[in-house]
Amino acid sequence: MNNTLAIDGASLCIRDVVDVARLGREVVLADSARSRMLESYAWVKQATTQDKPVYGVNTGFGSLARVKIDPAHSSLLSLNLIRSHAAGVGPILPVAETRAMMLLRANALAKGVSGCRPVLVETLLRMLNADITPMVPSQGSCGSSGDLAPLAHLGLVLADGDHGRVRYQGREMSAAEGMAAAGIERLQMEAKDGLAITNGAQLTTAIGTLALHDAISLVEAAELAAAMSIEALRGASRAFLASVHALRPYSGAISTAANLRTLLEGSELMDSMPEKLQDAYSLRCTPQVLGACRDAIRYAVEQVSIELNAATDNPLIILDEDGDNKAFSAGMFHGEPVGIPLDVLKIAVAEVANLSERRLYRLTTGSLSQRLPPALASKDRPVLGMMVPQTTAAALVSENKALGWPASMDSIPTCEDQEDHVAMSTTAARRAASVVVNARRVVAIEILGAVRALQFRQSESPGISLGYGTAEGLERAGAVLSGLDRDATPSARIEALTEWIASGGHLDVRSGLERLA
Amino acid sequence: MSITLDGQGLRCADLHRIAHGTPTSLCEDAATQMTENVASMPDGPSILEQKRHWLVGGFADTLSADELCRVFILGHCAGVGEPLARPLVRATMAARVNVLATATTGCRPDAARVLIDMLNQDVVPVVPSQGSVGAAGDLAPLAHIARVACGYAERPDSILDYKPNAKEALALINGVSMTAALGAVATVRARRVLDVAIAAAAMTMEAVGAGAGCIDPRLLAARNHPGGIEVGERLRTWLTGSTQVVHENGADAFSIRAAPAVMGTLVEELCSAETILERELNGSGDNPLLIDGEWLEGGNFHGAPIAQALDSLKVAVTSMASVSERRTFRLTYGQLSKGLPSFLVKGTGLNSGFMLTQYTAASLASECKGLAHPASVDSIPTVQHHEDHVSMGPIAARMLLELLECAADIVGIEVLLAAQALDLRMRGIAFDAEGEQFSVSPVKVAPAIETLHSRVREVIPYWEDDDVLHPCLAAAGKMVRDGSILGESLSW
Repeated sequence: MNNTLAIDGASLCIRDVVDVARLGREVVLADSARSRMLESYAWVKQATTQDKPVYGVNTGFGSLARVKIDPAHSSLLSLNLIRSHAAGVGPILPVAETRAMMLLRANALAKGVSGCRPVLVETLLRMLNADITPMVPSQGSCGSSGDLAPLAHLGLVLADGDHGRVRYQGREMSAAEGMAAAGIERLQMEAKDGLAITNGAQLTTAIGTLALHDAISLVEAAELAAAMSIEALRGASRAFLASVHALRPYSGAISTAANLRTLLEGSELMDSMPEKLQDAYSLRCTPQVLGACRDAIRYAVEQVSIELNAATDNPLIILDEDGDNKAFSAGMFHGEPVGIPLDVLKIAVAEVANLSERRLYRLTTGSLSQRLPPALASKDRPVLGMMVPQTTAAALVSENKALGWPASMDSIPTCEDQEDHVAMSTTAARRAASVVVNARRVVAIEILGAVRALQFRQSESPGISLGYGTAEGLERAGAVLSGLDRDATPSARIEALTEWIASGGHLDVRSGLERLA
Repeated sequence: MSITLDGQGLRCADLHRIAHGTPTSLCEDAATQMTENVASMPDGPSILEQKRHWLVGGFADTLSADELCRVFILGHCAGVGEPLARPLVRATMAARVNVLATATTGCRPDAARVLIDMLNQDVVPVVPSQGSVGAAGDLAPLAHIARVACGYAERPDSILDYKPNAKEALALINGVSMTAALGAVATVRARRVLDVAIAAAAMTMEAVGAGAGCIDPRLLAARNHPGGIEVGERLRTWLTGSTQVVHENGADAFSIRAAPAVMGTLVEELCSAETILERELNGSGDNPLLIDGEWLEGGNFHGAPIAQALDSLKVAVTSMASVSERRTFRLTYGQLSKGLPSFLVKGTGLNSGFMLTQYTAASLASECKGLAHPASVDSIPTVQHHEDHVSMGPIAARMLLELLECAADIVGIEVLLAAQALDLRMRGIAFDAEGEQFSVSPVKVAPAIETLHSRVREVIPYWEDDDVLHPCLAAAGKMVRDGSILGESLSW
């Protein structure tokens, strides 16, 4: 990554988040954003000296907003907010998710409506660029008013003091030690800094953004897997014709059908059984099911993309509005706008895997597979067939159904009933990420089966032409497998193909696919 | 003290001890019976021999018996995902030994002894946690164990040099021993969380001056449920000598008043789950079985009996956790906590006190609801129409363990807050609407409650000004898991 990303609160996209979170792309604050931040900061600065109550600047938090705070204490108020809100529990978040959360918080503040200093954002970006990562417990956020606890754990590292822990250069250490080693100065908290750091659903969106990126890539892997399986099962191509799909014009289905046609173009196995009028649903309805998943994912992409560039703070400082009080209390921190899409994402990705598992079942079931060897057992070597990996896939898709329970449907009143409806969006995001990981393994298992099935077809009919796309898929996935030890367990084969998909090895296999994002 | 596995007397608590390192051995009588069982085998090819064509296709006739076993076990090593925690793998190994020790599976004692050796030398295979549907058994996870036991993967020379025969290769993997083992460990954890939850409820009742009617033995006995009666009795024991929890206080909100009903349900679910799991642990979870010199084929590997018990347990643990969260909510809620300050600290607004701990509890309680989704209602046909209904029990077991982590932290938060509330009562500290402190008469709390409170204070300080809450939550969660709040020091 050599091109630096400049954030301005308005132009961040999913790809940028992945680049920074996973690939260490450099990131800086845009100059335009800096000047906007300074203006709103100046307003808050003068508000602390005024008598008028401004939420969280000279009042307590949550239901304690009823209590007025002496302006002399506004910086202690910020510091206390961060400390008392650092109430997370459970396993520590992975580095990439934490980095994405930091970037998203920085971008939200770069919008210049939070009344905080540019140095807050610049410190976050210095940490990203120096690859120093706060240790943030993954559990304990209700997603409203934002991911308070996880962001407060980040705040502990930003704020000068004895608290907070980081991962730096492969070691865990105190924030004080790590930040000193990285040469980054920690901050004295000022008025509203505490709120500016914690108020928004950035962990939800961070996990969700990475999961969405992976889901988009997974749909492409699933379409490649589908094309390979359909071809190995000597499918009928009429179900994928453009003229058919134009009559029920869902854009997702149209895309999937087009992709299948492209991948299968040139195949001599397709339509090689003229007596077969139509295939089973897991083959024939691939455009309808995967297309619906594409449409659902597109909805999630739209929502998350808005959130990536949204102000999520409370109150917001809007200088253009009339009147003395430029601070507007509202509910921008509420995680629901991303929570629901991420619950939808879970359903979509679970369906990607459900369909994949059923194709795998056909591939491995002698009576359903157009004379492929039962369980795809090899005819060359004494190895057990694919029946156990199919069982593994079944376990994974079943687990997804339990994880698919919509977290955002739940709410438990908090904070003396002041925060009486919360999003639970963070749980939705964490479950979505788990569903994507499970689904990726299912598709990997299908590809493992499809490779065997296509290789069998080739040995059965030497010289037969496969689809241009499926042939390349077979070659690439086959290369991954032939790189393994001859005695590798099914487990090792599945994990190798899973890693291949995760790293994008399947992308651009002669695909005319329009990118989702 | 070593635990002897004899195929009939294994308790959930025993398995939990083996999980955490207690040595184990195979009962000599059971070994003798296993040898006799093998001797009763009818003449002719073994079951795996008969199935070799089905398993390995055209190579069946060219493979030696050893090669056949190797292909069979390695071919089942198809697990994926995070490795199972070592104690859980140990519990799974011991559970499988006990199935073999029933002397009905046609296995020689060495098939069990090799696993015993591995347990006692702490040779614990890496077992991916995902990939089993819980019928025909936990095939993939058990195959990852068998792979080491049979010497198909590296293992120390000090382990018994063991090569399986065809039936043993099957018997090592053909049952839901991982599900049962995880379930057994979960019951021990659930019992501990429940014990602390009852203590936490008593602390909260004392702190808010609850009405005593809801734990009156006559009232609870009048509704027959033994769980509710037991919880009531245990709450009364904690509250013996209380001057705060009295009948005159009247009726409280449900999270207090119905605590015996909700937690009592878990008492009953736990008894039921333990009974079912212990039947499984001491049952012949294998196929086929060798009984009276005859091979009998059936479905003893199917996880349904325990899968559904574990799903029910998830529901009961969720209710217990969720009612604890509601008591935590009350403790933080100035208008509901009978004179305690909002968030249990001086209400100056500068301090948020324990505000966020309740958010954490709420978030965890919500997670529990998702994890409580019953895994066993699902089934997906596998293996060429042959295994067309499966149990999904291992998913239920894993989610139950995850749910218990959430529940332990939720109950820990109640303990933390109740201790703070008790401090305010014991010191006679109150605050007016402006946050000004004034004195009220200090309360003398019940002796057992005072003991609980002082155990918390040995680890977690009384809270005045805002500071980082996370270490308190971690410490409270630990006190639940290791039982130290109850004066114990136990493995989780």
